Amino acid sequence: MSIAALEISHLVKRYGDLVAVDDVTLRVEPGDFFGFLGPNGAGKTTTINAVVSLVKKTSGSISVFGHDVDHDWRAARALVGLAPQEYNFDRYLSLRDILIYQAGYFGLPPKAVRARADALIERFGLTSKINDEYMKLSGGMKRRLTLARALIHEPKLLILDEPTAGVDVELRLELWDFVRELNAAGTTIILTTHYLEEAEALCKNIAIIREGKIVASAPTKSLLNHEAEATLVIVVDEPLRALPDHPALLGAFHTPGDATICLEGINPSQITSVLGALDGAGLRVSELEFKRSSLQDVFLELTRR
Amino acid sequence: MIADMNFVGLTTLVKREMVRSLKVINQVIWPPIITTVLYVVVIGFSLGGKIAKIQGVSYAEFLIPGLIMLQVIAATYDECSSSVFQGRFLNAIQEVLIAPISPFEFVAGFIFGSVVRAFLIAVLIGIVGVLTVHAVPQNWLLAIFTIFEVSLLFSSLGIIFGLMAEKFDHIAILTTFVITPLTFVGGVFTPATLLPVPLRTLELFNPMFYTIDAFRRSYTGESFLPLWLSLGAIGFLALLGLAIAWRMVAIGYKLRT
Repeated sequence: MSIAALEISHLVKRYGDLVAVDDVTLRVEPGDFFGFLGPNGAGKTTTINAVVSLVKKTSGSISVFGHDVDHDWRAARALVGLAPQEYNFDRYLSLRDILIYQAGYFGLPPKAVRARADALIERFGLTSKINDEYMKLSGGMKRRLTLARALIHEPKLLILDEPTAGVDVELRLELWDFVRELNAAGTTIILTTHYLEEAEALCKNIAIIREGKIVASAPTKSLLNHEAEATLVIVVDEPLRALPDHPALLGAFHTPGDATICLEGINPSQITSVLGALDGAGLRVSELEFKRSSLQDVFLELTRR
Repeated sequence: MIADMNFVGLTTLVKREMVRSLKVINQVIWPPIITTVLYVVVIGFSLGGKIAKIQGVSYAEFLIPGLIMLQVIAATYDECSSSVFQGRFLNAIQEVLIAPISPFEFVAGFIFGSVVRAFLIAVLIGIVGVLTVHAVPQNWLLAIFTIFEVSLLFSSLGIIFGLMAEKFDHIAILTTFVITPLTFVGGVFTPATLLPVPLRTLELFNPMFYTIDAFRRSYTGESFLPLWLSLGAIGFLALLGLAIAWRMVAIGYKLRT
């Protein structure tokens, strides 16, 4: 098995009697765009903070590209960039210095990163504020700066904790494009977000955490196809007194005298047999709508169980 | 071990502390200078004219080393305690905590930043001393070493209290109830020889007395305590403070949850 970008094994974090993270095991492959989802207080940020050592593990192990975060912590930390949800910039530094000093903490001298800092600031449209302190920035600008700072030391693993929280649609799409580019260039990305369409649009693999436990971990497509199936709505060309007696239509919802038939919880492979059953009963289909589950449906189903 | 050190990270932390001091120069650099000038003018010149020579120098000249120590102690404690607490309070310290910086580098970064501030203040007050009463250290090596040692002690105390504090007010507890009173009775304004015998004995339990006594010797060439005792005591306390600060950072005390 190749070395994982992130390997979390039986991670437990307790705060007194509260078990914030309960035996979490995860593997993120190099180059992945990995969504880490869960309701508020589920343990997402605690898990992420354990990866970057802001949280002390109760038990379990974490390694980044094969480097254990406890025993080989310098190498592990050097490979991770964190864009936290809460702004935590140094209020005494200008935007440019925030990036240069952050790189310095990672062992990169100013000369080596000055050009990269300026390029990132330009890439995120912050050049006009380059010598200002962060408090003079708007909310959207602060979000961009968070991402720029996380990238200054060119991490191989980028962790984005709610990167688009509170930003407008335009900036959200701009950030989506940027992180897609980064991922395409080889950076492994872990994303936590409350915007499920964001995870659906960006992530190749998703894990869902609920009350500190992983309740699902799978490729996004398979999670959508299997965890919550689709709804098929069919309108036939004349009202029906009763549904035809056919196994494919078992469980279908229909109001006598209505032309609409609704089948919940079916998958695409069942559509042919449903249509065949209607055709066999001499009914003609005038409208058909196949509503696939969204990640939101899957999320709600898994987190409300 | 040294080969593994993140020297760039360490120097970045020191630079960051210096930048912070310069950004709030009106709060941290000028006040001790202005206060010292006022002490020299109001107390040293006006009252000092009526006092005979002490340790072979005028009263105003006697004041200068005490005042330097007073401000060095206050500055180093303030630098580390407020910077660490503010970093925790605003979470900006996480920038450092997620980086490949060891607990030793973390402590060293804050402390050397604080030492730089201490020397800057000492030099500026020293210039005030030269310009006003022509006070110049007779033993530069002793002066520099004492400032360095005292800075280590009070910087490490600053880190310890910056980590323990739950609000800004907690930082002031040590300053208000311990550092300031002990410094004032520790010989800034009066030589120990003028104190009644019982108080003179009590001074032996006052660490500020050791710092001021050792530093004043670099100016006057005379001290109440033997030099090995005062420097040894300060050095011991500094090492103890550094060890505690390092341990607190190493276990992530109030830094990592």
